[in-house]
Amino acid sequence: MSADQSFNPFEMARSQFDKIADLLDLEEGARQFLRTPRREYHFTIPVKMDDGGVRVFQGYRVQHNDARGPGKGGIRFHPQETIDTVRALSMWMTWKTAVVNIPLGGSKGGVICDPHDLSPREQEAICRGFVRQLARDIGPLIDVPAPDVMTNSQHMLWMLDEFEALHGGRYPGLITGKPVGLGGSLGRTEATGYGVVYTIREALKVLGLDPKKTSASVQGFGNVAQFAIDLYQQLGGRVVCVSSWDQSEQTSYTFRRVDGVDLEALRGVTDRFGGIDKKRAKDLGYDVLPGDAWIEQDVDILLPAALENQLNSKTVGKISKQVKIVAEGANGPTTPEADAVLHERGVFNIPDFLANAGGVTCSYFEQVQSNMNYFWEMDEVLSKLDVKMTGAFHDVATLAQRKKLYMRDAAYVIAIDRVASACHDRGWV
Amino acid sequence: MDKKDGLSSPLRRGKTPHGEHAPGMRLLTALQERAKELNCLYVIEDILNRSWDVPLPDVLRRVAEILPSGWQYPEICTAAIRIDKQRYGSVGYRRGEWQLVASIESEGEVLGQVEVHYTEARPQSDIGPFLREEERLLKTIGDRLAHVLLFRRMRAIRETTEHPAIGMADWREPLRLLRRSHRDLYRRSARKMLHHLCRIGIPEAQRLLSQTAELSADETGEVNEPGEKRWMDPSLLLSERPFEIAAEQMTSNEILARVEQWILEDRVGDLIKVIDSRRSSTQEVADAIRRFRQQGVDEEQLPISAKNGLRASLIRRLLSDHPLYMRSAKEVLSLDDFEYLLDRMILPRESRGKLGGKGAGLFLANRILATRDDMRGRWGDLRMPRTWYLATDGLTRFIEHNDLQDVLEQKYRDIAEVRHQYRNVVQMFKHSKLSSEVIHGLSSALDDLGEVPLVVRSSSLLEDSYGTSFSGKYKSLFLANQGTKRERLAALADAIAEIYASTFSPDAIAYRAERDLTDYHEEMGVLIQEVVGKRVGEFFFPSFAGVAFSHNEFRWSPRISRKDGLIRLVPGLGTRAVDRLGDDYPVLLVPAKPKLRANASVDEVVRYAPRKLDAINLDARHFETVDIDEFLRKYGDEFEALDRVFSIYEAPDTLRQPSRMLCDPRKDRLVVTFEGLVSKTPFVERIHGIMQALQDALQTPVDIEFASDGDKLYLLQCRPQSNVEECAPAPIPSDVDESRIIFSANRHVSNGNLPNITHIVYVDPERYGALATREQMLRVGQAVGALNKMLPKRQFVLMGPGRWGSRGDVKLGVSVTYADISNTAMLVEIARKKGNYVPDLSFGTHFFQDLVESRIRYLPLYPDEEGVDFNERFLRSATNLLPELSAEFADVSEVLRVIDVPAAANGRILRVLLNADLDKALALLTNPEEESLERTDQSITPALQPVDDRHWRWRLRYAESVSRHISREDFGVKGVFVFGSTKNATSQAGSDIDLLIHLNSTETQQKALEQWLQGFSHCLSDVNYMRTGYRVDQMLDVHYVTDEDIAQRTSFAVKIGAVTDAARKLPSRPVK
Repeated sequence: MSADQSFNPFEMARSQFDKIADLLDLEEGARQFLRTPRREYHFTIPVKMDDGGVRVFQGYRVQHNDARGPGKGGIRFHPQETIDTVRALSMWMTWKTAVVNIPLGGSKGGVICDPHDLSPREQEAICRGFVRQLARDIGPLIDVPAPDVMTNSQHMLWMLDEFEALHGGRYPGLITGKPVGLGGSLGRTEATGYGVVYTIREALKVLGLDPKKTSASVQGFGNVAQFAIDLYQQLGGRVVCVSSWDQSEQTSYTFRRVDGVDLEALRGVTDRFGGIDKKRAKDLGYDVLPGDAWIEQDVDILLPAALENQLNSKTVGKISKQVKIVAEGANGPTTPEADAVLHERGVFNIPDFLANAGGVTCSYFEQVQSNMNYFWEMDEVLSKLDVKMTGAFHDVATLAQRKKLYMRDAAYVIAIDRVASACHDRGWV
Repeated sequence: MDKKDGLSSPLRRGKTPHGEHAPGMRLLTALQERAKELNCLYVIEDILNRSWDVPLPDVLRRVAEILPSGWQYPEICTAAIRIDKQRYGSVGYRRGEWQLVASIESEGEVLGQVEVHYTEARPQSDIGPFLREEERLLKTIGDRLAHVLLFRRMRAIRETTEHPAIGMADWREPLRLLRRSHRDLYRRSARKMLHHLCRIGIPEAQRLLSQTAELSADETGEVNEPGEKRWMDPSLLLSERPFEIAAEQMTSNEILARVEQWILEDRVGDLIKVIDSRRSSTQEVADAIRRFRQQGVDEEQLPISAKNGLRASLIRRLLSDHPLYMRSAKEVLSLDDFEYLLDRMILPRESRGKLGGKGAGLFLANRILATRDDMRGRWGDLRMPRTWYLATDGLTRFIEHNDLQDVLEQKYRDIAEVRHQYRNVVQMFKHSKLSSEVIHGLSSALDDLGEVPLVVRSSSLLEDSYGTSFSGKYKSLFLANQGTKRERLAALADAIAEIYASTFSPDAIAYRAERDLTDYHEEMGVLIQEVVGKRVGEFFFPSFAGVAFSHNEFRWSPRISRKDGLIRLVPGLGTRAVDRLGDDYPVLLVPAKPKLRANASVDEVVRYAPRKLDAINLDARHFETVDIDEFLRKYGDEFEALDRVFSIYEAPDTLRQPSRMLCDPRKDRLVVTFEGLVSKTPFVERIHGIMQALQDALQTPVDIEFASDGDKLYLLQCRPQSNVEECAPAPIPSDVDESRIIFSANRHVSNGNLPNITHIVYVDPERYGALATREQMLRVGQAVGALNKMLPKRQFVLMGPGRWGSRGDVKLGVSVTYADISNTAMLVEIARKKGNYVPDLSFGTHFFQDLVESRIRYLPLYPDEEGVDFNERFLRSATNLLPELSAEFADVSEVLRVIDVPAAANGRILRVLLNADLDKALALLTNPEEESLERTDQSITPALQPVDDRHWRWRLRYAESVSRHISREDFGVKGVFVFGSTKNATSQAGSDIDLLIHLNSTETQQKALEQWLQGFSHCLSDVNYMRTGYRVDQMLDVHYVTDEDIAQRTSFAVKIGAVTDAARKLPSRPVK
């Protein structure tokens, strides 16, 4: 592809892989095999538009690796979609399913289109066209798509319906991210936030700390943050502050209550996008501080659960000496520079693709339930999630301790080793 | 008799003919009397209207029968009508000692009289025992009978002549009758007959007419001297000769039919005379129309010319004299409509006022839609809320009545002073009184409208006329209108005073000055309109409301074209769709492509859904903004349009349509999407149809406001969408040296060409965002306002972060009002990526319309996007003039930079090219020399140019040209500056050009220069004369200053580098 471009996500994913492959001392054959996706589908989707014309859309599905099980990964609708982005993301899915140890591989798909330019009917036509091209190459036992950027449960239902029409049967396990009642799983909303706290709980055990005597500072007050706070407080922990984005002022604020925030009370003064009402929070007894004040609190745990690059070279120096754990609820909250500093200081890191893997684990559960057409109650979903996350955490933590690895590196080592072993055991490489 | 006067008189007089009763009793008695009078009048009216085929004596007897019932003492009252020596009396008629008499007259001829007698003594009153109102009632009945008689007579004439047995000669008798009773009418008919005969080529008539008034060559307008006045025999037109000639060509019937037609036209003519007369009040117009109607004329019978003439006069008088408006209005507005309208106009005494722009626009739009069959049938009725109109001269009367004339000076004051005093003006107005006529009118309006919430809106003569919208400049106020009549009336009067005061608000004054309308005498009508909606809990609001535009100036997809239109839709009152809000959004729809929504992902739909609604709290009696979630928790089940307005959001990414039965507003998370309204109702199609119909009829793109109570759709406002004339797209050069580019854009670009930008006002987004306090941010806005007054008009651009003019949220963008930016050529909103925040663009809001109308270009800039140039280095490194220009605001110079482009770019100026077709914009540095005069002339067509721009633009260009031609070496010139009206863009047709020349020369050199400039001055005088018709002897007013002057800052040298109103340096010839 365009090698002259300065930034290529696929090249970056490969070099990340190379680094770990060196650590693992992977054989050349395995390296070559894992550096390149197994299968790629490039196809066109002609769509009759509302105005009578025809437009042809470019679609992709990349199946990076399915040694450990059917591929798993979302379908993106994006005007600037490129095949290299899809390749990179499919590789990342392989490592993600491997690190939480669920029997799935890594895939990704995309269509170059902007839903802002498309009516719902046209989007439906794209979804059905996508499945018609791939009907033999995806399936509950082959490759299982899910919602991603600018796609949602509606798109998944259109795709499922087309697949079932072509195959003459009901195959709810084809796809995940369906609404509850139409093949969806309970617990999808809670899964990521709870998953983060399962790993925090286990990390505290490793560090020999009693959750009841710990405190945390949370960035963000969206879905992930709220459920994380909920479960952490159930464990007896004290959340000292949360930060949230103020849509009307286009800035963020930190809301602090040293005795511990009251989740229910804060939810009562929060709009549905996680924005906390400043004035009413003040009335409730919260200190309203600048947006990045959450970083410099004297707490045991930092939980960034909103944006990328929050812990960077500028802010890392403000982190209190008391901080022992950084649990990455958001994707990529820590820059490499900050990572180095935290590593140096001995702060315990729970890397993003492990900490927030509750989401993909729940997708796996949705598929399992769909395949047997029997759906669990909420507590069953959550207790199984706990088991999976706890197991995955300890695998990584044990390796990190044993080999004196930084947690992030240990997680990648485990993920890649699992995939490489599966390929080897199958006799592929 | 005037209904309003009748109702108001007892209140005004405060006493009754019965002597002193308790005040309550007096009022009651008086009202009973008026009711009796009215009743009597209505019954008589009824008799006359149905009596067409009843013999006249019977009709007159019946009328006489009814008459006593309208009098104060019917039991002793008798009445009679005398016509042609015959008397038609009421039962038991006998003359009494006390009588009232009114004559029955037509065209000056007394036909008879109507009389009322009291047979016994009664207490003394206004006129003997009679009331003044009774006298007027009798007069009215007399007039009415006169019409009936005349029409019966005409009909009789017509019928006799139509009888076949009566031969050819029978036109004579009826016309003799006409000549006897109506000499003028006869004369006019005779003249018309002659003209008619002439036209059909009857030599005899032509001969007679050439004797009297032949149309000769000089009367056709080809000779530029007064025509000859001919002698005319006055007796000819009163003779039978014209008709005798006619009888040779036409049958008797034809002649009489024509005469009848002319008489009818004559009546229309009389009516038009009343309407057109400056002297007649609107009340007199109303009365004249009523009388005209009572003659039993069907408007449809009138000849087209008479009908159109009548309509045109009424439209001009009551609605608008704008040619575009009149053309469409003539098509659809009938006499019925005007009668209806006049019934709902509240008139100050002797009012000659109109409806004002908003009222006229709405009234016409409503009639246009009512006459379109496809509009009526297909989607159910489109309604207009019940509306009363306070005439436009109410404001002037209010000012006179309360001695507030001082306030009229306001508009000539400095805008800062106006702002300072505005609060006092509002209070002064609120403590003033409306005249009693207006109060009584308002009282009737309140009785008619009832105890429903009202909106009181300004309807100025200037507002909403073609080309000026004044949107948001004058106020609209909501009233709960609850409580006792007295409370409601007081609140209404207070609101009207406040609306009147808004004429003198700083923004309105600045807006008028901008359009050269300062001297125009502003008159302000007021609309009193019921609010559309239903009550839910304590709140009253429409299920949804919004605004729609024919032209879409904000397109989020290349598939949407400008002509597809735009709807901004909100739940509750439409205020949230019209206004620009910092923290909430309307739902956007494209009428032609409703399926292409602005927000595509579930996340976006939820994020940008409206979260609040505006309503009227009926219990607290005020306007209130309500949180939708809280409202739903409390009253969700009572909100009928739930499934039209909301979708159910299920985390994390599902939106579904609520089922009417099963949706539980307490449990389900509801998000405003209007999905049900769009997909299950013909709403969008309907709005689209309405917009098309209005656009077709008015022949201009429109913008409307609408609201729905859940069942019916109401049209609340309609006006031409401002400034949609196409500007030519500027060609964008492709091979531009990158170093010349200041910025480029490739999204949401409109058309235009700004060839001559000399200054850039740049608010550094990063540093602005880093300001620590709100006060500092507000100061940046104030500084921009100050610069707006100092920099050359339309020659500077404003660039800054986020949304300029956001209300309340200063973080979002620089806080300015329209008055603070009114002189800029272009507003550039810079949207730097900030987290996942996408700035809301300023379109369709009050502010944006201001920009569009002032031809201030608007451009959103996304510097972080691919393919976009943004020369931040230039903007940050060029010398900042701010501390020099305004020492007062030197403290914000870190954030706010003023760049003199020629100074910073080696004499080059900035040129901005905008091309909507390519969706590309380019701002580049260019040499002024490249800017030939011809090219600029083409880009500014006179019609599009605001009047006040015409005079200074070319003056400035020539001043630049003079400067470039001065040989610096030959004349010892160090610099040439321009100041005064040319620099300040305030030149009038007779202004000269003030030049300041910095010399270091010998006397001979200076003499030579003076001579050289003299030649230029003569040429420019000629140019000015050609352009304006004004002679200015010395176009160049040249002042010379030396180094010494500058050093000592003497004479005009102070102008150079002055802090305010500094002279501006002009470009020189490039050194060879």
